Amino acid sequence: MVKKILKYSTLLGITFVMVFPLLWMFRVSLSPVGSLSISEIWTSSSYTLSNYYDLFTSNNMGLYLFNSILVGLIVTVSNILFCFTVGYTFARFQYITNKILFVTVILVLMIPAHIIIIPLYLICLEVGIYDSYLALILPWLVNPIGIFLVKQYIDSLPISMEEAARIDGASELRILFKIIMPICKPALAVLAIQVFFTNWNSFLFPYILTQSDQYRTLPVALALFQGHQAIDWQHLMAGSTISVIPVLVIFILMQKQIVSGITGGAIKQ
Amino acid sequence: MKKFIVSFAVILLLVNSNLMAKTSLEWWQFWTDPTIKPIINEMIEEFETNNPDIEINVTDLTWSNGHEKIVIAFSSDTAPDIVELGSDWIAQFASKNKIADITKLSKNELGDYRGWDMATYNDKIYAKPWFLGTRVMFYNKTLLKKAGFDDSFIPYKWDDLKNGAREVTALGKKYYGWGSNTAEKHRLYKKFMPFFWSNKAQLFTDDNKFCVLASTKAIEAIKLYAWLHDSCGYVDNQRGIEDSFLDGKIGFIISGDWLLKRIELEKRKINFGTTLIPGPKLPGKSFLGGEFLAISENSKNKEAAKKFIDFITSAKNQVKFCKANRTATPSSKLASQDEYFTSNPNLLMFNKQINLSVNPPVDPDWVKIEAIIEEAVEEIIFNTDLIAEPLLDAQRKIEKIKGL
Amino acid sequence: MKWYKKTAFLLALPWLVTFVVFWLFPLVYSFIIGFTDYELLSDSINWVGFENYKTLFSDEVFLSSLSNTFIFVFGTIPFTTIIALLLALLVNGNYKGRDFFRSAFFMPSVTSMVVIALIFTNLYQRGGYIAMLVQMLGFNTPEYGFLFDKNTALYSIMAMDIWMSVGYYMLIFLAGLKSIPDELYEAADISGASQSKKFFSITLPLLKPVALFILVVNSIKSFQVFQEIFVMTKGKFDTSTAVYYIYDTGLTTNFQFGYVSAAAYILFIIIGLFSLTQFLLMRRKQPLW
Repeated sequence: MVKKILKYSTLLGITFVMVFPLLWMFRVSLSPVGSLSISEIWTSSSYTLSNYYDLFTSNNMGLYLFNSILVGLIVTVSNILFCFTVGYTFARFQYITNKILFVTVILVLMIPAHIIIIPLYLICLEVGIYDSYLALILPWLVNPIGIFLVKQYIDSLPISMEEAARIDGASELRILFKIIMPICKPALAVLAIQVFFTNWNSFLFPYILTQSDQYRTLPVALALFQGHQAIDWQHLMAGSTISVIPVLVIFILMQKQIVSGITGGAIKQ
Repeated sequence: MKKFIVSFAVILLLVNSNLMAKTSLEWWQFWTDPTIKPIINEMIEEFETNNPDIEINVTDLTWSNGHEKIVIAFSSDTAPDIVELGSDWIAQFASKNKIADITKLSKNELGDYRGWDMATYNDKIYAKPWFLGTRVMFYNKTLLKKAGFDDSFIPYKWDDLKNGAREVTALGKKYYGWGSNTAEKHRLYKKFMPFFWSNKAQLFTDDNKFCVLASTKAIEAIKLYAWLHDSCGYVDNQRGIEDSFLDGKIGFIISGDWLLKRIELEKRKINFGTTLIPGPKLPGKSFLGGEFLAISENSKNKEAAKKFIDFITSAKNQVKFCKANRTATPSSKLASQDEYFTSNPNLLMFNKQINLSVNPPVDPDWVKIEAIIEEAVEEIIFNTDLIAEPLLDAQRKIEKIKGL
Repeated sequence: MKWYKKTAFLLALPWLVTFVVFWLFPLVYSFIIGFTDYELLSDSINWVGFENYKTLFSDEVFLSSLSNTFIFVFGTIPFTTIIALLLALLVNGNYKGRDFFRSAFFMPSVTSMVVIALIFTNLYQRGGYIAMLVQMLGFNTPEYGFLFDKNTALYSIMAMDIWMSVGYYMLIFLAGLKSIPDELYEAADISGASQSKKFFSITLPLLKPVALFILVVNSIKSFQVFQEIFVMTKGKFDTSTAVYYIYDTGLTTNFQFGYVSAAAYILFIIIGLFSLTQFLLMRRKQPLW
């Protein structure tokens, strides 16, 4: 019993630390613009949904939300598909330049965005995808970290299962997607998380590679609330809260995937 | 017969497309928050209605990263036709011929606007002023009264400021006489330079051969600034200082017209006054900056672009914009005479200060010089008790940059 | 065999194409630019060979930003990783409210970093909540606030970074924990192993691949820390990091793009070596998931 109390108080304590700044953010989003100083926020009793209302009417928050979700999902799905297939290829077929290629690919991630952004901008202009959905998607179609993750995971899988299926006469595609992919669920789940969230909060690339309102994503929209001399706290916090909700929803849905566990069979011979 | 129809259709198409040939202008600007964006859209709509052959595509820039976006675009020669630039960026683009020389196009309106100096580089005008920005001294009348000064007290000289700040600080632990900015890029120098300029100190000698940042006058100015910081200073970033001032805890701060907007929107009950930046014996000089509209050198529609710029900067539109954004100092002289400005003592004060303000040199190296000055001031007020050494150090660095 | 090679190639095509066009080209471009004196907005560009690299090694501002970056990396990664693991263990069990706690711990990771940085700028202010908390615990707080004092500024940002990241890595650890077959634990129970024996002999070794993934990803990210610095202090009070230095010197105050491209590659090499070391240290012959 004591153990239980200890456990729950620890959990609640940690929750408080994790959540407090966000509670503050949420509270500010519910306060009317220009009504009081931020420091008095907890004692005030004025609440309003007008900030959220503003965002969806005079601001295009609905569009920005849609853009972020659309781009996020496309990039995540494409990564799951391609990282899986390419990772499998790297794991099962030893190409000559395998290792070198691999290393180069990962090194791409180690260059600061500000250096990459200028040539990337030039390329997008050249290829004609500047200021379009393609600029938000194509460069991120396949994330090398994902390839690395899948390769590592598949490396550890016994080849016997595939060979058995091959002998049985199953086609390669069938083996790949019906047998191996389900086993890779944990790796793919981790990959999906990594890709989706990196993309969700990405600011610099969407900002520089697009300019029209219609392709704007949430992080860029949020940046616009930082005024010249003053920050529009109320709208910014409302926008930020909106930015958190879809992700939380996806997280809750995906929890089942991640935590459903690997039901036997996979590693077992 | 078929051939006839086809060729007729083609001709029709060509004729139609010519009639519909629109000039498309791209405009990159920074005003995006809900109070002001509708005004921008309104102005664009009105212009398009009056000029059906011109189409305006506006791109919103963020204050935090907009400059990078502009630099990247200009670097690769893919800049928009019209771009809004802050006064301290104009020289960078002008010196590399990235923005167009509009001296000829502006010939007839030089007397109607103020701020041309900030857009003039090598005797050519590179941008049209849209709004000006200056800083004045805000003071808390309630606190001063509490400290024993009567209602008619207006601090216009340094001694007034010193006494006032000292007495307010003496009121108690939670009161401070002076709001002193912490190290904040592009902000600190706007608070220190007024003291510098008010004391008639100069950055360079008149012949531009030497940097005189460490002159006696400069040292006097920084001494006062450091004293205010040490003895009476509430040190925080600009937002923190304003919050505290609006909460009635600070006696004097230097701020801009956006503070008036905050007071109005947040319905603050503060008995405050605005006055000109104090000088050693008489009111001194403040900082001057502004927002400008420039045309890219590569633009294929410079005349149309100028037409649009003229529309946006017309007196009527400036008043409209200033009212919505609570901007105090439009660039159009006619606009500044509007009742909206003349009937408000605080707005009048800002416009008065414009005449007593100095803008940083129009120099592509200014941003670097600014960073050096800020570092020196930070060193003096935060790290050491030395005053002349950091200034001399900065002076040497500036001379190195300018090749002196 | 040929069929496999053909399909494999086709499947890899989208990746190869996007990689070459959008990443290889910028990589090579920026690498070459690092050997020039190119400045943004300028029309002239001259080859300077290793001049940039040489100057960088004696550039105090760059070196100090690099040292701050190391402090940041070594000061956050151990904490983030360990706390993330502890949290994952905490929410791994089956009890009431577990899902709620998982979501709560994960929330900071999901919020925009810029917004979090702004919120914390407020929290770290003099007289703000954190100052009050610290004073309650009996410590002194910097006079002007945590972010405006060179002794506390960088560490305050690091603390915020740890707070923000643990939920995310907790999730990844959780996925790793979930992939450890229950049978192993059951077998250990049968042979009467204690909790800690189970943890050190089963859990920890089997988490190695996940941990490696987290360490590599976190290091790559942490070496490039920029956004927090940009929003909270703009590099003042000794908080400038390598990427902030690159941004400031290459894109804003100065436009020395060629120079900072070289700096970026120095950072690149450092990150590469660091990741390689991690790989070598953590490598097992047959990583078992």
